[in-house]
Amino acid sequence: MDQFTQLTVDALTLGSVYALIALGYTLIYGVLKLLNFAHGDVFMVGSFIGFGVLQLLGGTDNPVVPVWALLVIITFAAMAGCATLGVVIERFAYRPLRDAPRIAPLISALGVSFFLANSMQLLFGADPRNYNTFDLSNGALYLRGIDIGNVRVPLLRIITIVAAFVLMVLLWFLVNRTRTGKAMRATSFDREAAAMMGIDIDRVIVFTFVLGSALAGAAGVLFAVRVPTTVSIGFVAGLKGFTAAVIGGIGSIPGAMAGGLILGFAESYTQGYVSTKWSDLVVFSILIAFMIFRPQGLLGRPDISKV
Amino acid sequence: MTDSTPHSSSIPASGPAVGQDEWVARHAARRLMPVGPLRTVEERLRIVPWWAWLVLFIAAMSLLPVVESSGYVRRVGFDTVLYMLLALGLNVVVGWGGLLDLGYVAFYGVGAYAYALLDSDKFGVHLPTLVAVPVVVVIGAVVGFLLGLPSRRLTGDYLAIVTLFFLQLFQTVMTNGDSAFGHNLTGGPNGILRIDPLHLFGHDLTVQHQGVFAVSYFYVALGFFAVVFVALRFVNSSRTGRAWRSLREDPLAAEAMGMPVNWLKLMSFSFGAAVAALTGTLFAALNASVFPLTFYFVLLITVYTMVILGGSGSQPGVVAGALIISPLLEMLRDPGKSRIIFFAVLIGGVGLAARRSRTLGVAAAATIAFGFAVHELARAIDASWVSGEKAGGFAGAVDHWVVHPAQLASWIPPVSYIGLIAATLLVTTLHGRLRLVALVPTLYLSAFVWENVMLAKPEPARYIVLGLILIALMILRPNGLLGERRVEIV
Amino acid sequence: MALLELQGVSLAFGGLKVVHDLDLQVEEREIVSVIGPNGAGKTTLFNLITGIYRPQAGDIMLDGASIVGLEPHQISRRGISRTFQTLRLFLNMSVKENVMAAAYGHTRAGIFRSMLRTPGMRREEREIEALAHERLAFFGERLMGYRWDQPAFSLSYANRRRLEIARATATNPRILLLDEPAAGMNPAETHEITELIAKLREDGGYTILVIEHDMHVVEGISDRVVALDHGIKIAEGSFESVATNEKVVEAYLGLNTAATK
Repeated sequence: MDQFTQLTVDALTLGSVYALIALGYTLIYGVLKLLNFAHGDVFMVGSFIGFGVLQLLGGTDNPVVPVWALLVIITFAAMAGCATLGVVIERFAYRPLRDAPRIAPLISALGVSFFLANSMQLLFGADPRNYNTFDLSNGALYLRGIDIGNVRVPLLRIITIVAAFVLMVLLWFLVNRTRTGKAMRATSFDREAAAMMGIDIDRVIVFTFVLGSALAGAAGVLFAVRVPTTVSIGFVAGLKGFTAAVIGGIGSIPGAMAGGLILGFAESYTQGYVSTKWSDLVVFSILIAFMIFRPQGLLGRPDISKV
Repeated sequence: MTDSTPHSSSIPASGPAVGQDEWVARHAARRLMPVGPLRTVEERLRIVPWWAWLVLFIAAMSLLPVVESSGYVRRVGFDTVLYMLLALGLNVVVGWGGLLDLGYVAFYGVGAYAYALLDSDKFGVHLPTLVAVPVVVVIGAVVGFLLGLPSRRLTGDYLAIVTLFFLQLFQTVMTNGDSAFGHNLTGGPNGILRIDPLHLFGHDLTVQHQGVFAVSYFYVALGFFAVVFVALRFVNSSRTGRAWRSLREDPLAAEAMGMPVNWLKLMSFSFGAAVAALTGTLFAALNASVFPLTFYFVLLITVYTMVILGGSGSQPGVVAGALIISPLLEMLRDPGKSRIIFFAVLIGGVGLAARRSRTLGVAAAATIAFGFAVHELARAIDASWVSGEKAGGFAGAVDHWVVHPAQLASWIPPVSYIGLIAATLLVTTLHGRLRLVALVPTLYLSAFVWENVMLAKPEPARYIVLGLILIALMILRPNGLLGERRVEIV
Repeated sequence: MALLELQGVSLAFGGLKVVHDLDLQVEEREIVSVIGPNGAGKTTLFNLITGIYRPQAGDIMLDGASIVGLEPHQISRRGISRTFQTLRLFLNMSVKENVMAAAYGHTRAGIFRSMLRTPGMRREEREIEALAHERLAFFGERLMGYRWDQPAFSLSYANRRRLEIARATATNPRILLLDEPAAGMNPAETHEITELIAKLREDGGYTILVIEHDMHVVEGISDRVVALDHGIKIAEGSFESVATNEKVVEAYLGLNTAATK
């Protein structure tokens, strides 16, 4: 029972990070019909921005601001940095290809992903970067927490999970309850028709990249406060986020959240009950099962192709 | 009427206007009417049949070990032929089938591992080469077929995710395969060692001959290449090849015209996989060892860059892509050659661009002057900023122009590198005189970054170059060097 | 027995009935026009016959055998071919290859025979090429000569429509479904298409089902006219009887939309 509780907490932590990444994929796919392979690397850059700002603020052992402010600042810095990065990528690598054959932006995206990962390695090397969050307030974020049975859920875990879910709820409101959100939904439904209705498509696309990349940046920090980050995490993180988006139904926001959590649970339980080595195989099997039995994903709509 | 004279204002100068027969007529006429000596040569060369080109090419390649005795160069030559094979295989899937197969290099790995298991001390199996190679090819095709099955109905995007995940899964399985259900199947991260060399006509093909890379593998690889090239070319001009290209163009119309699209997709997919697996046997036999990490994202991007650069869909194109990228990547390992390549590209690029506009020539001259000025200024402020000079040669000459500090402060690489990216992007958005003015410091900054940041770390630097090539190609010339220009109406 | 027979075919997307309880019979070597306002379900009817959509109720019979549930390429091999309203050529392939590709269904050479260029395979290739020449020559000079090797995207709109018809006939069909063959053509070209459809039946012996908006074309070619509205057959018969049918006039002019219920 205790193991189950522990694994469930792990699953929620991991799943919420995957969900945040998947949301970026889904948002961008929604408006551009583009699988943004560079998204995982934006996530990686986010974790490094968080690390850099953390060092600027004195590091975890001697921060110049209170702990809560420190966490908020590094998260927002990563979000802002990644949003900028996302906008730059869209402007220079994808926008010139908007009317090109569909395979062109995909390959450009592969190039961007490869470029980002190797640029980061060029500048910062392949060494892992550890936030050392245990040093914050003498380990209070780890030692204090909520007890469920015999398991203590550390404060840091609770903070990351809650933060991720707050971001998701905010996103949901933004997309479903604001004018810009409505423009996004219209664009994703039919770009040309939306343009004819007076929606500035370029603005909507830029805004989508801002949102998606900012979520990736936040995910980068939420990931790296627990686990050391390296320049090579982008590939696998991107792949998992991408899979989560597809399982949930690409283009669907609740789908991406559900997909991320499903992946988190699948990985966590496999690692706990079967073996740490074969979680990829389980996730792959889930993906294949969805491809065969429900290709539109959990919450996606089946595609009625118009002839 | 010459090429440069606009025929009418309604025809855009950028290229073929979609759906204008008049344009076709003119285009055909223009093709027959050479402008300049290059066109004449091109017209003459058109008469030579494709197989004569192939024979010439193979003959030229065969001379490599004759004129070059260095084992290193021969080894690079062998690797290049492997890349040519890989590019041919990927061209079947991406160029003809139009399927985005991101797990392609995993099939290369499947081939290498399959050969390793069938011909090594690992399980004590030692199949004869003439049995093992076909078996491995069939294994590659079958694995490709099975992977294609669940994704066959789906569009490119879903295929991309399934295949990319397959690449990751291949890593996981090979890395953890040393303890699968208590058995050591794949050797894990340590790979499989002591793989048998190829055994043909009663001889073991040795890798080393008197301490130098033996040429036998090079010729075997070249032979494989010739066979694969011809076989695929024949398939392309058959009903299967036409069907592949039809489904790339419009799967629904292809289906309605009697082509079993799902089956054809699977065929193209597993054919590509079979070629990759075949190449894998050569790789494993030559290296006598296989490790999981060889078959990963880096190799995938490398092969994709070759195919895209050469022109996906064109067999000579993808071969040319491999011929360019493979030696380029090798040379970028070495700072001396890497520096020469950079300046050659820089000068060549500016020179080509200057032919179109005089002002660019001015910008080039300004950049040179700018460089000397900055160099002198830096020396005047602090001599250590330019003291990283090396004696003599090209490197020494360059160091009279590029600021090269003896000791780089830790903030310089990120700031200059990110500054360079920002400056480059800025230059692409500016127009007219402003662009020229911005170009001067940007060019100089690029030289500074190359000298001080990139050369210090060749490994990421050369992959950065690959990534840049991919992005720039997609934007500037998506059809690559030799590919046909494509039109897509959505 | 009718060559093609639809019995009570229905299809709905969500709650929208696109085709409802449709009966249709087409006799051998007959030319039948399908007319109706936009959204009447005409193209959907073609998609149902060619297997792109599957009917939710009813049956579609070719020569007395049901073809419901077959894949489109299987239906094509049984002798039904079509053109597309929106033109779906293989744009980056040459004119000749567009037609040659459509011979896939009735040719045999497999991949390995192609690799080895066996004599049988080479003979078949020559036959396919001859077939392509013949099908393209049907349109006179328009698709001949240097245009054979031009990419399809370079063709004019009218020539693309012609190429689509040539491609459709290269599958050796018994029934040709033409989706608005005269759309976007000028009067001279439209007139030519009218004659051409008649000639297709004369020379090729095809049974032709055609969707057309241009009433001159419909009048010129049809043995029989079927009018659809909101997925329901509202009239059927000779051109004169359908054209003067009250429901048809209402459907087009919208005098009383309730009449279609």
